Amino acid sequence: MTRVNTVTGPIAVEQLGFTSIHEHIGYGMPGSELDTRWWKTPEQRYEETIPKLRKFAEYGGQTFVDATGICNGRDIDYYQSISEKTGVNIIASTGFVGGDTALKHFAEASVEYLADQFIHELTVGIGRSGGKAGIIKVGVSRGFKMLPLDLRIYRAAARASLATGAPIITHLAVDAQSAIDVFDEEGLPLTRVLFGHADDGVSQGKVDEEGIVGAGGRIGFDTFGYDLELPDPPFWGRHRDERFQHLMRYLRSGQIDKVLVAADANCSPLGWPGVKGHTINYLFEQLIPDFKQDGVSDAVIDQLFVGNVADFFSTTTPLEGE
Amino acid sequence: MSTTVNTVLGPVAAEELGVVAIHEALLSVVPGAQYAYDIDIDRAEVFEILKAKLEAFKAAGGGTIVDRTGMFHGRDLPLYEALSRTTGVHIVASTGMGPEENLGGYFLTPQTNPPTPWPAERFAELFGAEATEGMVLPRVERRAAAGLIVTTQTTAGATPTDDSLLQGAALAAKASGVALSFSAPANTLGALELALAEGLPADRVIVAGLDRAGAADIVRAVVERGANVAFDHIGSDERGQSDADLLSDDERATLVAELVAAGHGARILLSAGAVGVAKGHDAPDTAYDAVLTSFVPKLAAAGLDESSIRSILVTNPANLLAVKEA
Repeated sequence: MTRVNTVTGPIAVEQLGFTSIHEHIGYGMPGSELDTRWWKTPEQRYEETIPKLRKFAEYGGQTFVDATGICNGRDIDYYQSISEKTGVNIIASTGFVGGDTALKHFAEASVEYLADQFIHELTVGIGRSGGKAGIIKVGVSRGFKMLPLDLRIYRAAARASLATGAPIITHLAVDAQSAIDVFDEEGLPLTRVLFGHADDGVSQGKVDEEGIVGAGGRIGFDTFGYDLELPDPPFWGRHRDERFQHLMRYLRSGQIDKVLVAADANCSPLGWPGVKGHTINYLFEQLIPDFKQDGVSDAVIDQLFVGNVADFFSTTTPLEGE
Repeated sequence: MSTTVNTVLGPVAAEELGVVAIHEALLSVVPGAQYAYDIDIDRAEVFEILKAKLEAFKAAGGGTIVDRTGMFHGRDLPLYEALSRTTGVHIVASTGMGPEENLGGYFLTPQTNPPTPWPAERFAELFGAEATEGMVLPRVERRAAAGLIVTTQTTAGATPTDDSLLQGAALAAKASGVALSFSAPANTLGALELALAEGLPADRVIVAGLDRAGAADIVRAVVERGANVAFDHIGSDERGQSDADLLSDDERATLVAELVAAGHGARILLSAGAVGVAKGHDAPDTAYDAVLTSFVPKLAAAGLDESSIRSILVTNPANLLAVKEA
């Protein structure tokens, strides 16, 4: 049996159910906590968060993967209370959204130290919360090119994944060959890695999807809902139908097992205004109706949000030397 | 003219400060170390350690400690409030940040396209609000106002963001009436001019870290410009601090005597640069009372009379920490 760490304890992989693989309870760049313009009362944070998760659960959502890494406002005991009160499983991340969100203590750390930090959070716990991470977050700093610190974090993540069985999700799929090289050198099978945000507006033309899939990696269609049709879309937004057709090409070409889908929405953003009108429930309110209109079967939808996720978390992939 | 000082327990009359240690650190945490798996910050333990050090400072004749670590290096306001109440030592906490390597991504790669680092005006707003409306307990509330605005430039040379931080700190100091303290090892005088160009009077500026070998000419230039110098590694040779370029206390005492003789006594500040509790970095085990216990006798031996010494330890810092009306 594969066990998966949620913030309130391990569950069997079979219990994950409908899962959104890349979301945020609340994300803020390190240092944003010093700027009062973003502050919210605890009442406001719960008011913004709880109804979205209750609705997610009503729609049939069961598991929420929080992709907020260390230093970005990750708050495990808050997640524990939210999970307990809504019944939604929350899986927390160790790792970093990118090298440019790692504060000095980690920016100057060795690969070995970073790996120890990630493994500790995956196996012992995060801070004093008692909750453990269930997934590893890595990412590319601003500029679409891996920086040396990004590469150290990727290498440490590979070692932590091999040591614990936890999979890796990335922020951005650009400069993928640098990532693939690091994972290859560390002996990590690419099935353990989801190259995220391959679907966002600013990455188009910069993602070597064939290279990633050819090497065994998974492609993240995980910014669904950041549509240019919104009243005030973010700079990484994309036209709704363009993103949808991009995903449909995978479904129609028999590569459904290579993709994972999410909305990357903030329930209650911490250090930025967020994007009005975008929530995790886009998956149920817009995307799934779009699938149905296009004739996508329930079985395929189930595979995207249940089967593929369970496969991603499962450690049945034979490791080298076994 | 206002004569009150912003302490963590609120405004205090400047003449009540007593002997001030102006460049010290209470709890010093490398940014990010608070999240490290192998670093434990036991606040009860930190309190006990700092309490003992503050009591020793008080017993040696000290009245006020200034925590010069700024807003993002371990500052723990409720802890400092409790320490001040418990020990009777006035505690002044600071706002500001730097050098660039100590900053969070929020300031360096913001979620804008392109990710342009913060300009001076935004740092001025952030620091100025801490010096007037109160220092932040992150995402919870503002508490007492900051009593000093601090920044540090990268040792190897200022980055563009280091300069934005310094200019922003100077703007905030000018607008709030709270003094500025900065260190700029690579180009001290250039940095001083950068700060003064924002319209801040020179006598509201402290240049930190000038008790280094080869810096005597810079010290003279700073005081002749009307700004203040801090010799803030007092006791470093006694504790065997390894920085090869730090002056010995005897050399410091000679330099202080020279400045006093030249009429610059009002521009001198002294501090140990002690770190009470360090997390995520090494710090020499040192006491806040090094100036009082070991350096004052050297000043006397160098020919300073009691009133000159008292002016340096009490009057000069009181004048600087007193908030000026904008």
